[in-house]
Amino acid sequence: MNIRNVEKSTWIFIIIGLLLFIVPFIITGRSMQFIIIQIFIFAIFAMSYDILLGFTGIISFGHVMFFGIGAYSTAIVMDRMDATVLSFFVAILVAVVIASIVSFIVGALTLRLKSHFYAMLTLALAGLFLVAAEKWRSLTGGNDGFTFRLPEILRDSHHLYVLCLVSLVLLFFGLRRFTKSPFGRVLMAIRENEARTESLGYKVLHYKVIASVAAGVVASIAGVLYALSLRFVNTGVFATDLTIDVLLMTIIGGVGTLVGPILGAGLVELAHHWLSGLSDVHWIFERWIILYGTVYILVVIFFPLGIIGTLQSKFMNRSIKGLRNSRKTVGK
Amino acid sequence: MNSLLELNQVEAHIQKFHILQGINFGVKKGGVTVLLGRNGAGKTTTLRTIMGLNQVSKGTIRFKDEKINDLPPHKIANLGIGYVPEDQGIFGELTVGENMRVAMKKEDEETTRRMEWVLELFPDLKKFWKKPGGALSGGQKQMLAIARAYVNKNELLLIDEPSKGLAPIIVDKVTESIEQMKENTTILLVEQNFMMASKIGNQFFIIDDGKTVHEGQMEELKNDKGLMKKYLGIS
Amino acid sequence: MDLIIGLTVNGLATGMLIFLLAAGLTLIFGLMSVLNFAHGGLFIWGAYTGVWSFQMTGSFIVGIIIAIITGLLLGLVTERLIIRPVYGNHIQQILITLGFMLVLQEFIKVVFGPDQKAVFPPEILQGSFLVGDIVLIKYRLFIIAVGLLIFIVSSFILKRTRVGLIVRAGVMNKEMVQSLGINIKLVFMLVFMVGSGMAALSGILHAVYSGVIYAEMGLEFSILAFIVVVIGGMGSFSGSLFAAILVGLAQAFMAYYVPALSLAVNMLLMTVVLIFRPQGLFGKG
Repeated sequence: MNIRNVEKSTWIFIIIGLLLFIVPFIITGRSMQFIIIQIFIFAIFAMSYDILLGFTGIISFGHVMFFGIGAYSTAIVMDRMDATVLSFFVAILVAVVIASIVSFIVGALTLRLKSHFYAMLTLALAGLFLVAAEKWRSLTGGNDGFTFRLPEILRDSHHLYVLCLVSLVLLFFGLRRFTKSPFGRVLMAIRENEARTESLGYKVLHYKVIASVAAGVVASIAGVLYALSLRFVNTGVFATDLTIDVLLMTIIGGVGTLVGPILGAGLVELAHHWLSGLSDVHWIFERWIILYGTVYILVVIFFPLGIIGTLQSKFMNRSIKGLRNSRKTVGK
Repeated sequence: MNSLLELNQVEAHIQKFHILQGINFGVKKGGVTVLLGRNGAGKTTTLRTIMGLNQVSKGTIRFKDEKINDLPPHKIANLGIGYVPEDQGIFGELTVGENMRVAMKKEDEETTRRMEWVLELFPDLKKFWKKPGGALSGGQKQMLAIARAYVNKNELLLIDEPSKGLAPIIVDKVTESIEQMKENTTILLVEQNFMMASKIGNQFFIIDDGKTVHEGQMEELKNDKGLMKKYLGIS
Repeated sequence: MDLIIGLTVNGLATGMLIFLLAAGLTLIFGLMSVLNFAHGGLFIWGAYTGVWSFQMTGSFIVGIIIAIITGLLLGLVTERLIIRPVYGNHIQQILITLGFMLVLQEFIKVVFGPDQKAVFPPEILQGSFLVGDIVLIKYRLFIIAVGLLIFIVSSFILKRTRVGLIVRAGVMNKEMVQSLGINIKLVFMLVFMVGSGMAALSGILHAVYSGVIYAEMGLEFSILAFIVVVIGGMGSFSGSLFAAILVGLAQAFMAYYVPALSLAVNMLLMTVVLIFRPQGLFGKG
């Protein structure tokens, strides 16, 4: 690729990415480093959600199932095999393969349905995974979960930091290419007007299934990293709260922008950290989901483009139709 | 201002399309006013806009000298406007009787009297009283839709293409019924069937490309071949 | 034999509880095309407020009444504040109602504390009848009776009264209902409130039935209601009764014979319906 053809924004992203590599030398506190690692992981998870919601216009309430698949695959593989780098790669492979099979089956079965059905079904399916993780104790350790050992090289938090950051950067540029490719254009056409895209001769279902497989795989990688960062896994990785978290990140940051979800992940994770710090001050801060939920509702009603989306629409006259479609005049 | 209904420079959009670009007309009390024009000229949109089912983007609509363009549809209907949409809007799973019951705002003497009158006009409705609306023939649906609009004491009926898709003999029946109704109700009719329109219409307005372009008495139009050809494609 | 009858009674009781939850969902969906993911939140609020007032006053009737009132009021608030601003925009509706679900769930923990609570049936409904060799647990029969009563009363209202006819007409053609001079927003609000009241009733009845309440119960139980709505067909009232009983029975028998699969069997049922009849058993294609 000719270097002159690289967009200005790409340079900005590369510079930001490089700057982030220096951060652990400045912020040496372990807990703060851990929070930044969590931000990277959830940024990956949120980007994968953006592929569905922002680029294709699909609402899944069960996206957490792929995250959980990634986390459990890693934990189980690492627990059963030796704590080596090889088993780490096996874990990733297992996670990606299971996630792609599950997302393919779910997508092929249900994506032809209307958005309501899909949202509902995915919610129910994620519930099924949660129950399975609780009940299949021999494999998952039930509710309490289990800890596992990491290979030597990943025990250093600086190495883990680099691993997560590299994954985030690679996936970000990968997904950016994906969304800007002709394939990504078709996805956006589906988001804008599904019927019209279909009538232009595109097999909408195929595109949607591929988008959901891509999103599922990326989410499972986020799950892999999540399990690594905690060295522990329990049924919480299948909880609907996590779906809400990632929805909030994507929507606050700005759907359909990829950068937005990363920003959203940063904001939500920092706010989470800050609020749970306050729980010593007053118990109400333990119930931070209320605040999140309220912010989330207000954002959906008043600010549906999110931070990045609003900035873009201001400066570039860009609009995202999916979230602010022309309203019908039912009883004005 | 002696018009019952008055549209003044009305404009309306459907999504981003500028459908109505300047509709002006007044409907006087009594008689039948016909809106004519080619397919897609904006006649149906005009009726929907009067009913409040489309938003007015510019201009005013007055009914009995009251501005109605910001009211929701049910308030407009309750001012005394009945509406028979192009697709008749029959509730398919409700019986004929239940369709009527949804329409009847009151069960007073006046409404009962109107009901009896309209059932006499359309004996088919009485015959199929317990049949689901969806199982009626096209003509019977049209009659039910008209009956439903008439049963309340409405001063103005908006009727959208009552002859559409009906056999000629049924069209005659519907024409006859509208003629009887015009004795005590004002009617604003959209009609492509020129035979029917010319038979019952008193005054007319022609809409072309979202604008009212011509008006006059029905009698004049019948003799003005040039006008008919230009806007209606009838030669 | 008595085992089968016992399981059937169990299944019917569970089915009725699911029906009460699903009926509101399906009516709201049919009329307003809103799939209310916060419905389980109304269920759980009914359960907690009902149990609280039942334990305060000692009267189960008061508990039920308070639960229903809570449901009606919360339904009103939900419709006005959460649903109304985003009418006609499906993506926003779906996103927003799930968010509200979690807010309702967390608020339960704020008001009533985060721990599980044990609940016992009122004395009069404790114990069982003995018919021959068959043991019939009173409270389960009570639930079945209440469920049937609600079904009959609502069916009567929907079929015979003008309000009911308007609701059904609204499901078919909203614009025409408005053009006949009916304030459809008022009808929406009414249906939403009634649906929420039924969810809350389901909540209090279920609380006593399961003997324990906790905040996450709403979302868990509402998943069953979603399954029922899909199987019965969105917008179909009698479809939701049929599907609820089907799901309840499947649940009860599986829980006894193959406990590990009791949730999976319903998912499977739903998947089969979605593949062969995506509009649901009673839905219109």
